[in-house]
Amino acid sequence: MAAEVLGLPFEVGAASAWLVWILPFIAALIMPGIGKISKHATGYAAVGFALMSAISAVSLLPMALEAHEIHDQISWIDSIGLKAGVLADPLSIIMANVVGWISFLIMIYSTGYMKGDKSITRFWFWMLFFIGSMQLIVLSDNLLQVFFGWEGVGLASYALISFWYRDKKKDHVGTEGRTVLGLLDYYSPTHAGMKAFIMTKVGDVMMIAGMLLIFLFAGTFGFRELMHDTSWATTMSAQGLLVPAFILLFGGAVGKSAQFPLNEWLLEAMTGPTAVSALIHAATMVKAGVFLVMRLAPLVFALSAAGILADQFFEVILLVGATTALLLGLQGMVNSEIKKVLAYSTGSQIGYMMMVLGIAGLSQQFVNGYTAGFFHLISHAMFKASLFMAAGSLLHVVGSRFMTDMGGLRKNMKKTYVFMWAAGLGLMGAPFITTGFWSKDSIFGAVYTSGHEWAIPIFAIAVLTAVITAFYTTRMLGLVFYGSKSKHIQKMEEEGHHIHEASLSMWVPYGILAVLTIAIGLVGLSFEGGLHELFTDYLEDSFGIHSVHNEIENSILPEFLDGINPVALAASLSAFAIGTGLGYVFYIGRWVDPVKFVNSNIFFYAIHKVILNRFYLNAIVYWCFVVAPLWLSRGVFRYFEKTVIDYGMNNGLQKAVGWSAKVVQGTQTGVTQSYLFVFGAGLLFVVLILLI
Amino acid sequence: MLEISSTPLVIIAILGTVGVLLPIISIARKEKDSNSFYAVIAFAALIASIGYVAYQFLADNILPSALFSEDVLVDDAFGGFFAIAMLIVAIFTTVGSFNYMRKKNYPAVYYSLILLSTIGMVLVAYSTDLVMLFVAWELMSIPTYVLVGFMKKNPSSNEAALKYFLFGALSSAIIVYGISLSYGLTGSTNIGEVIQGYSTLDPSLLPLALLSVGMFIAGFGFKMGLVPFHQWLPDTYEGAPPTITTLLAAGTKKAGFAATIRIVVLGMVVLNLDWTLALGIIAVMTMTIGNIAAIMQKNLARMLAYSSIAHAGYILIGLAVAPYSSLGLQGSLYQILNHAVMKGAAFIAVAGIVTTLAVTNIDKLKGLGRRMPITSLGLVISLFALAGVPPLAGFWSKIMLFGGALDAGSTIWWAPWLAIAGVLNSALSLAYYGWITRKMYFEGETEKRISEPKSVIAIMIFSIVFLVGFGVYPDPIIKFVEFAAPTISLGIMP
Repeated sequence: MAAEVLGLPFEVGAASAWLVWILPFIAALIMPGIGKISKHATGYAAVGFALMSAISAVSLLPMALEAHEIHDQISWIDSIGLKAGVLADPLSIIMANVVGWISFLIMIYSTGYMKGDKSITRFWFWMLFFIGSMQLIVLSDNLLQVFFGWEGVGLASYALISFWYRDKKKDHVGTEGRTVLGLLDYYSPTHAGMKAFIMTKVGDVMMIAGMLLIFLFAGTFGFRELMHDTSWATTMSAQGLLVPAFILLFGGAVGKSAQFPLNEWLLEAMTGPTAVSALIHAATMVKAGVFLVMRLAPLVFALSAAGILADQFFEVILLVGATTALLLGLQGMVNSEIKKVLAYSTGSQIGYMMMVLGIAGLSQQFVNGYTAGFFHLISHAMFKASLFMAAGSLLHVVGSRFMTDMGGLRKNMKKTYVFMWAAGLGLMGAPFITTGFWSKDSIFGAVYTSGHEWAIPIFAIAVLTAVITAFYTTRMLGLVFYGSKSKHIQKMEEEGHHIHEASLSMWVPYGILAVLTIAIGLVGLSFEGGLHELFTDYLEDSFGIHSVHNEIENSILPEFLDGINPVALAASLSAFAIGTGLGYVFYIGRWVDPVKFVNSNIFFYAIHKVILNRFYLNAIVYWCFVVAPLWLSRGVFRYFEKTVIDYGMNNGLQKAVGWSAKVVQGTQTGVTQSYLFVFGAGLLFVVLILLI
Repeated sequence: MLEISSTPLVIIAILGTVGVLLPIISIARKEKDSNSFYAVIAFAALIASIGYVAYQFLADNILPSALFSEDVLVDDAFGGFFAIAMLIVAIFTTVGSFNYMRKKNYPAVYYSLILLSTIGMVLVAYSTDLVMLFVAWELMSIPTYVLVGFMKKNPSSNEAALKYFLFGALSSAIIVYGISLSYGLTGSTNIGEVIQGYSTLDPSLLPLALLSVGMFIAGFGFKMGLVPFHQWLPDTYEGAPPTITTLLAAGTKKAGFAATIRIVVLGMVVLNLDWTLALGIIAVMTMTIGNIAAIMQKNLARMLAYSSIAHAGYILIGLAVAPYSSLGLQGSLYQILNHAVMKGAAFIAVAGIVTTLAVTNIDKLKGLGRRMPITSLGLVISLFALAGVPPLAGFWSKIMLFGGALDAGSTIWWAPWLAIAGVLNSALSLAYYGWITRKMYFEGETEKRISEPKSVIAIMIFSIVFLVGFGVYPDPIIKFVEFAAPTISLGIMP
């Protein structure tokens, strides 16, 4: 290769694969040092390093397009045969580029958004740490290393969600004073950080259990090594442990990707700075779960093809994904905080990706679902990052997280208005011009043509979710930009605040992503085609998964829509039309007052209330896992601890230890004669036990 | 014959020359208060020695662990391993003394004694002859008697020295008695020949052979601080200058282990007895008593002294299971190297605290984390490494030791209990390490930072890098240990 020509001692591609994740870590480490010299310089340095990491990722791209793969290993702990390595195959290279470039844009945005924050060095440190950990997950060649990145992501998210640790009122989420089932629906940043940390930890524990289980049989953590010799799978399958192990691994993904039933942390994660939310939702953290499934799914599918059945694994993914998509989508329809709406939307869209990955494993055409899931991941990353950053601008300008405090902003913030519409259209799946349309359409197609027995109900859920998505996006845009100005804004203007556009460094990043959503959308079908081809080769080369090439009967549709399933197309067109239409009626045209509509009969009112209260899931989780254990522990403390344990065991044990310590000390008299006596006795003792 | 360029001879040449010359130079210079001048010379000599050992390893000039030789010394990996551990400790002591010995009398003699004692320690590890070993043993011990009592106006230093000397004399006598018994039984003082002689011994003489082995355990056990030969240890460690305590706890103690492995473990293998149980019992007693006593201590140096007794117990686990699992000796060696750094760093931190704040009482350490941040960090990391918290270096060596005990469980029923006792003891030890940490970081008002001695900072940084670095990436050390650990099995013949 080129490296040999240049006479370099290492392969250039491998070096840049390492650099992609090492650079952010280096940057994070030197950040405090730079902060000591100049706070101003930290921003430039952080953006610069993020750019270098992204460029390293781009340099790998030609490799991906030729379906090459770099697998570079160094020894880590030789004594137990552990190796550290990077695995740059088309999947991880494209993912690394998505992560790298979107993080880079978010970093630029942060320079504007976080301007003047006192703890800016801490912010940059954790942001870079976050990106580095994510890239580590993406480029690792083994599960153990993934787990390191996994924990790094968890730690960074904890630090960033509770970044404003002083818990000021404006940094909370939820409505003050509102209760659900007797519990406050109002969370401080530090509480939210802890919640995210603990809930994702539940998944992490499952993941490490699954990992170790596989290691126990396979003796390796490496993805390629697991594929190379599959005798371990046969053994595990024979003992009925294969599917549980993979489902445990999927548990890790459920936690990180905020899937049902570990979804509740995602909402409170909105207490972090908006740049953090954008990073969590678009490029890192929640995508880590999807990525892990994408790493594992071909392996499991290949095993299935070899006769080791693991269908339940895909069924679990499918059901979890579909449930989450619908459940969180519904909640997005009623919430009044703009960031929460976007958060619900993320959970729901990730659910889509999981769903289609699940269906991929259950159909003959694995590559269809696989490509659809990845395509949706890319397009979601773009428009969701754009939407979040734009929402951050709104928050910045308006100074409130409630959409009811906005309204009529389209004249004051023209650029944000246009870009948010463009990115919003992507989320709604506006036909033929947005990436969101094509990716969603390919999901519909993959589900519809899968031939699985659950295909039709799942398809219905997918379409229903699409209607909901289009509706809440229109609602969000309508509430923020249309209608008359809210009282809050009027008051601000009276006080002399001028409502103006966000600064350059803020609108450019989300502008770029919004434009990309449309630009790639215009050539969406050929983009998808390219991706499909690439993954067909990749799955064939690396996993030996053959895909049957089948021509779709395509007599109804015009020629440029070759390869599109007509039913899927009709479904996505009508979903968009219905959802957007309803949204328009309520929130843009404002022909019907939504509040009156909901209150018009008890049925609507009840549904609205249930959804607004998050299906009571959060409250139930809190009652079961926080309130009840606390209550129990207090009770235990009062009645059991204080009597039995304290008086009986604790004091007793303590006394016993104390007493024995005193005895030991008592022998330590300081009198040399007695020491010598003990020495002599000890010698006798040793000789005696030798004689036994 | 050993070659003139072999490691032990070169070390004798370097350290011996410098050690002898230092007092002579001091007489010639007639200058007082030039501590750092002598310290630098001693430091350079030690660095040259450790550099030579490292060079010998890297240049592949060192035999794999031979253990037996016709000579009185053998230049093998086992000795080299101990030489490195001991030289690190001697360097710690010397660097720590830059600060500690400032404005104190007779620095030249002080450093000269440290160097001479270091030669002794290193030679013990290289000895393959009982007489050579005894000479080296005395060369190691006698300077330390003087050093412990170096603060001659300080009564507790004097008391410490006296107790140490009395016990040292007693144990030396016992070792000589053991040597004479084995010489009488086999007609040789070469360890290889002694062991060969033991293996063909007339059964009626067996009790005498056992007596000699018991003598060796007791004699070396004194230096290792095994229960019940440990009682001098807390008094001495507390009274001695803290830098010298470093030398004792981290250095001379290891010489005891080196001698024990060379003679007792290998010797008893051929005696074909159920001797391992004896070592196992001593191991459990040692760690339990050490830890229990440490919990009640109010004085940091004394607490560390008891903790070092407990660690002798952990290391002994490896010796007890050595015949059944190759991990046993490897774990012991690994723990010995780690312990040298961990305990050395902890005692140097104490020395730094004593010289700047003049306190050793743990209650007075409140808020130390803010007053002396680097010293505190180094101390805390060494304490947690001692407790075996991952991912610090101490974790891997304990894993190896306990793993060795579990591994041996397939041959011998009681071995896993050693691992269980070890784990319980590690948990117990966290109690007092955690207590110190809490005092330093979570109690006390915010206090101003005071300047920390530079030499102490240097050692702290080295130890932190060592403990964290080799904790995350233990591979080189594991390989080194595997290379240095002798392989023994039941029924081995020299």
